[in-house]
Amino acid sequence: MIPAAFDYHAPASVDEALRLLRSLPDAKLLAGGHSLLPMMKLRVVSPGHVIDIGRIQALCGVREDGRALVIGAMTTHWAIESSPLVRARAPLLAECASRIGDIQVRNVGTIGGSLVHADPAADYPAAVLAVEAEMTVVGAEGRRTIRARDFFTGVLSSAVRADEILTEIRVSALPPGTGQAYLKFPHPASGFAVVGVAAVVRLRGGRCEDARIGVTGVGPTAYRAEAVEKALVGTTLDDRTIAAAAEHAADGVEANEDLFATPDYRAHLARVFTKRAVRAALERAGRA
Amino acid sequence: MTAVVGKPTKRIEGLGKVTGSARYTEDLQLPGMLHARLLLSPHPHARVTRLPKAAALGVPGVVNVVTEEDLPEGVSSNLLARHGEALYSGHPVAVVLAEAESAAADGVERLGAEVEYEVLPAVLDPREAMRDGAPLVRRDAEDDEEAAAHSTVDVKGGKETKPRNVANTYTFRRGDVELGFKEAALVVEHTYATGRLHQSYMEPHATVATLDPVMQAVVVYTSTQAQFYVKAQVAKALRYPESRVKVVAMTVGGAFGGKFMLLEPLAAALAVVTKRPVRVVLTRREDFLMSTPGPEAEIWLRTGVKRDGTLVALQAKIVFDAGAEPGAPASIAAVLLGGYYKTPNLLIEALEVLTNKPPNGAYRAPGAPQATFAIESQMNIMAEQLRMDPVELRLRNCSGTGDPMPNGRPWNRMGMRQVLEALRDHPKYRHRERGEGIGYGVAVGGWTGGVESASACIRANTDGTFQVVLGMVDITGTATTMALIAAEVLGVPVDQVQVVIADTDQAPYAGASGGSKITYTVGPAVKAAAEDARRQILAIAAAELEARPDDLEIAEGQVRVKGTSQKQIALAEIARKSMSFGAKYAPVYGNGNLPSPKGSPGFAAHLTKVRVDRETGEAQILDYVVIQDVGFAINPPAVEGQMRGGAVQGIGWGLLEAMTYDDQGTLLTWGFTEYPIPKASTTPPMETVMVEVASEFMSFGAKYAPVYGNGNLPSPKGSPGFAAHLTKVRVDRETGEAQILDYVVIQDVGFAINPPAVEGQMRGGAVQGIGWGLLEAMTYDDQGTLLTWGFTEYPIPKASTTPPMETVMVEVASEFGPFGAKGVGEPPVIPGGAAIANAIADAAGVRLTSLPVTPRRLLEALREREKVS
Repeated sequence: MIPAAFDYHAPASVDEALRLLRSLPDAKLLAGGHSLLPMMKLRVVSPGHVIDIGRIQALCGVREDGRALVIGAMTTHWAIESSPLVRARAPLLAECASRIGDIQVRNVGTIGGSLVHADPAADYPAAVLAVEAEMTVVGAEGRRTIRARDFFTGVLSSAVRADEILTEIRVSALPPGTGQAYLKFPHPASGFAVVGVAAVVRLRGGRCEDARIGVTGVGPTAYRAEAVEKALVGTTLDDRTIAAAAEHAADGVEANEDLFATPDYRAHLARVFTKRAVRAALERAGRA
Repeated sequence: MTAVVGKPTKRIEGLGKVTGSARYTEDLQLPGMLHARLLLSPHPHARVTRLPKAAALGVPGVVNVVTEEDLPEGVSSNLLARHGEALYSGHPVAVVLAEAESAAADGVERLGAEVEYEVLPAVLDPREAMRDGAPLVRRDAEDDEEAAAHSTVDVKGGKETKPRNVANTYTFRRGDVELGFKEAALVVEHTYATGRLHQSYMEPHATVATLDPVMQAVVVYTSTQAQFYVKAQVAKALRYPESRVKVVAMTVGGAFGGKFMLLEPLAAALAVVTKRPVRVVLTRREDFLMSTPGPEAEIWLRTGVKRDGTLVALQAKIVFDAGAEPGAPASIAAVLLGGYYKTPNLLIEALEVLTNKPPNGAYRAPGAPQATFAIESQMNIMAEQLRMDPVELRLRNCSGTGDPMPNGRPWNRMGMRQVLEALRDHPKYRHRERGEGIGYGVAVGGWTGGVESASACIRANTDGTFQVVLGMVDITGTATTMALIAAEVLGVPVDQVQVVIADTDQAPYAGASGGSKITYTVGPAVKAAAEDARRQILAIAAAELEARPDDLEIAEGQVRVKGTSQKQIALAEIARKSMSFGAKYAPVYGNGNLPSPKGSPGFAAHLTKVRVDRETGEAQILDYVVIQDVGFAINPPAVEGQMRGGAVQGIGWGLLEAMTYDDQGTLLTWGFTEYPIPKASTTPPMETVMVEVASEFMSFGAKYAPVYGNGNLPSPKGSPGFAAHLTKVRVDRETGEAQILDYVVIQDVGFAINPPAVEGQMRGGAVQGIGWGLLEAMTYDDQGTLLTWGFTEYPIPKASTTPPMETVMVEVASEFGPFGAKGVGEPPVIPGGAAIANAIADAAGVRLTSLPVTPRRLLEALREREKVS
C-alpha cells in the first residue's frame, strides 16, 4: 500500500486541467481521491501524473439555473447532503449523499469523482438514474451532455472519455406529487451498497403516473428497473402491487457475488429494497 | 472515604491522542534509517526455489535484500520463512531494504514478479489436518510427529492415538459423565463454531530498531503492550545478553492482545545486519496477512440437567485452529467452559491443531468468547426446553467462591452471582417489550484474572510534584489510574503526579498489559510505593516540625499537624531539603527508604610541578599527582578516570579557561577555536593515589533519603471478573439482518478507580462482542488466500452503528486489587456473541450455533425453518 512515485499537478481552471490532460502521458484526474488513491496504494493503477481538479473552485458548489438544479462535479457529498437547495429541489440526491461512507469520506469525496469512477456499488448512480440527471462534460471538442441512462457503460467505466472532464450534474425540477427515496443495505465493512435503490414515484388522482427505479450494487453497472416501473405505473400503488412489482427488481441482471452476499441473496435484497423504497417514496409523495 | 480514586478523571494522554500530537513508532525518523518492506508468500505452503535478489537490487535506492539465510541464527524461524519454506499465505520470505519506503515497495514488487515457488501440500482446516495422511504443517515437526504416532493420550477414558498436526491436547475430568447423563432429565448436544477474528487495532504493527555503538546494544522502538517480554525475546533471538537490548515502548494505537511481539526480532536483526536504523511498518493488508489474530474454534458440547435445572454432566471437545504455530488458548477455553457452572461430572478434551494459516495470538480474553458462546447458548437452549427463566437457570448453577474449576483449582472471590442478580433485577430484563422481530438475549461470562509480579517507584520533585516511574505500557488509560492511586495515597491533587513510562533500561519491571492485570498488579505496587514515599515525607516533616509522624497529615501541598495550619511545612520544602545541593542537611543516598543522617566528605590533594618560561610568560605543567579519599572504589578505573578528569579540568581553571564577552555583551569565546580547554596532547603525566577512608554510608545525599518509594510485589491471587449482558435485537425477516436495539452491560468491577475509564472498557468490550456476534470472521478461500485483507472486506463494529448502551457496575471488592479494584478489560468482550445469538433465537425462533450471525446466514436459517414447518 505504498504507491509508485508520480508527479502531482494542481491546475486552477478547467482549461488548464484539460491542457495538462492532453499533454501529459499516463495522467489521471484526482477529485476527492477516495477511489483513485486506494487503487494507487494497491498499485492497481500507477499513473505517472496526477492532476488534482478538486481545487478548481468553478467546479464546486450548487446553484439554480432556471428550473434546473446544477451541482458542480467537485461538490463534496457533505455539501450536497447539507445544501438546503438540494434538499428542496432534489431531496433524493441529498438523501443518497447522506448514506455514502462515513462523515470523513463525505467531507472529501465528490459527486463527480464518484460518478466517473462508476463503481458498481456506488450510491449516486442509482440516484442520478432515478432523477434522470444530465451530466455535462468538456473536452477538446467542446461541451456535451450525457443522459444518466447512457452514462454508466460497465464496471468502473463511464461514457466520459479519457480526455474529458465532467463539470456538472443537472437535475430538472420534479412536478408536485412526486415522492423520492433512497434506501440502501450497506456492506458492513466498506459501507458500499450491497444493494441501493432510488425510487421516484408521482401520483396523480390516486394513481401512479410515473415511476423511476434506479438500482445500484446488484449488477456490473447501476440500472433502471424498467420491469418494476412498468408494473407500477397506472396502479394505485397498493401494498400488494408494490410487492409484486418489486419481484422484478433484478430481472435480467447477473447479480454480483462477494464474501458478504451471494448472487441469489443480492437479488433477493434488490427485491426487498425496491419494495421498501417504493413504499417510502409513495409515503412522501402523499405528503408532497 | 477516598479523595481522588473513584472520581471521574480525564485520561492524561488523551488530549495528545485526539489532537494528533501523540508520537507513534511510525513517526520516528532516525538519521540514516532504512525502510524495510516484506515479500510475502502468496501460497499457504511453498518453498522458494528461486529468489533473484538482483531484481530488487536494480531499483534505485534499494540497498539490500535479506532472506532467512542472511539473518543471525535464531531470528528467522518466526518471521522469515525458514529455508525459504513458507507455512502460510502471508509468511514473509524476504525483506527489501531501501533508502525510501517507495523504493522498498518497488523492490518488493519486482522481486515478487520474479520469485519462484514450489507449491507444497497445505491443510487449512483442522478437521482435514487431523486426518491420517494429511500433509504436515510443520515438516520440522516430523520427528516429533513420528514419536507422537507411538504415544497415546488419555481421551474419553480410553487410549487414543494423537491425531496428526495436533500440537497440544488438554483433558479435564471430574466425576463420571456417563453416570451424570443417566441422572439427567434432559440432555442437549450441539456443536458451536466461532470465527478467526483480527484485533483490528487502528495502528498496524510498527517497529524501528537501531544500534547503540556506545553501549553495543540494540535499541528497539516499538508498538507493543509487553516491553520486557520483547526485550527478553529479542535478546534470545539475537543471542545477546538482555542487558544489551533496550526496548522503548512507544504510544500504542490499539493492541487488544495482538501486540505482544511481532516485528521486533526481525527489525533488530536487520539493524544488526545493515548496521543502520531499520524501520518496519506494516500496511493494513500486510497486518491482516501476517499478524496474529484470535483463532477459530469448534466446540462440541453435551450437557445434562435434572428437571429442576440442576446441571449434572458436561462433556465437551474443543478444537482450536492454531495456525502454523502452537499456542492457541485451548486450555483457557476448557477451564471457562466447564468452570462457570457447578457440574459434578465433567469431561473436557481440548486440542490445538496446526494448519497452514498465520499463527494466532491473543485477542482480548483469548479463548473466552469461544467457550462462552458454546456454554451460554446451551444454557438458553436448556432453559427454553425446561421452560425456565434463563437467568434463573444460571443462578441455580453458577459457581461461587471456592468452587472448583475444571483444573481443580478453586475460584477466588467472584461476583458471578451478583452480576446475574443485577441482570435479573434490571428493569429492562423484567419488562421485556414484545414486538415483531424483537427478542432479548442474556449471557454471562468471566475471566479468571491475570497475575504477575510488579514494581513501581515514586520520586518527589523539588516543587512538590511527584514522578511515578513505571515499566508497564498504557493501552487503556492505566497511567491515569496509577496517577490517581499515587495521588490518593500521597494526599495531593492528581495533576501533581506525573506518570513516566520508562524504557526497559530504566523502568522497574512490570508485566505485559494483558490478562486484565495492570491496575490489579501494578496498582498495588504504585500504592505501596506511594505509601513508602508518604512515610518518608512524614518522617522528614516530623523532624522539621518536631512532631510525631502519626500526628501529621498531608493537605493542600503541606504536611501539617492534624487539625491546625499553624505548624506546617510544604511538600516542596521537604523535597528540597532531601535533594538540594549544599543543603542544610548532609547528603544521603539511600535505597528508597534508608535514611543517611551523616554525610561523607571527600577530599583531594594535588601536587603540581611547573616550568615557567620567563620570556613568553608560559607556565608548563611537567608533573601532577592527584591524591584523593574515595572511600572505596567500587570500579577503580572509573574512579581514577574521575580523579584524572577532574584534575585536567583544574588545569583549565588555573591556566586556560574564561568565557569572554565584549562590552556589547557579545560572547567572544563562542567555540573551541576561541575558548581554550585542556587537551589530551598537552596533558602532563599524572599519578593518582587513592586513599580509602570507608564511608559509613554508600553515597552522597541530603540529610534525608530522597523521597523514592518502592513498591515491589509478587503475583497476587487472581480476581475473577464476570460480566452479564442483556441484548435486545430486532430481526428483519426479509433481509436476515439482526439489529441491536439496546444493550445492557453489567459487570463486577471490584471498585472503579476511574469510573469513565472502566465504563469505557465495558462499552468497548461489548462493542467488540458485537463484532464476534454479527460481523467478524477472517475468511480464506480454498487456496489459503485471505479474502478479508482490509477494512473494506473485514467488517468491524462502527461508532455510527453502535446501539445505545447502558452500563451497570457491580462492586464485589477484590481482596488484593488496589481499593478493591479488579481487572476489567477482558470480561466485557466475553458474553456478547452468546447474548446476541440468544436474542436472535428469542426474536426469530432460529438458533444459530455458528458465529458471526451474518444476514445471509440468518436468512438461510429462517428459510430453512419455514421449509420445515
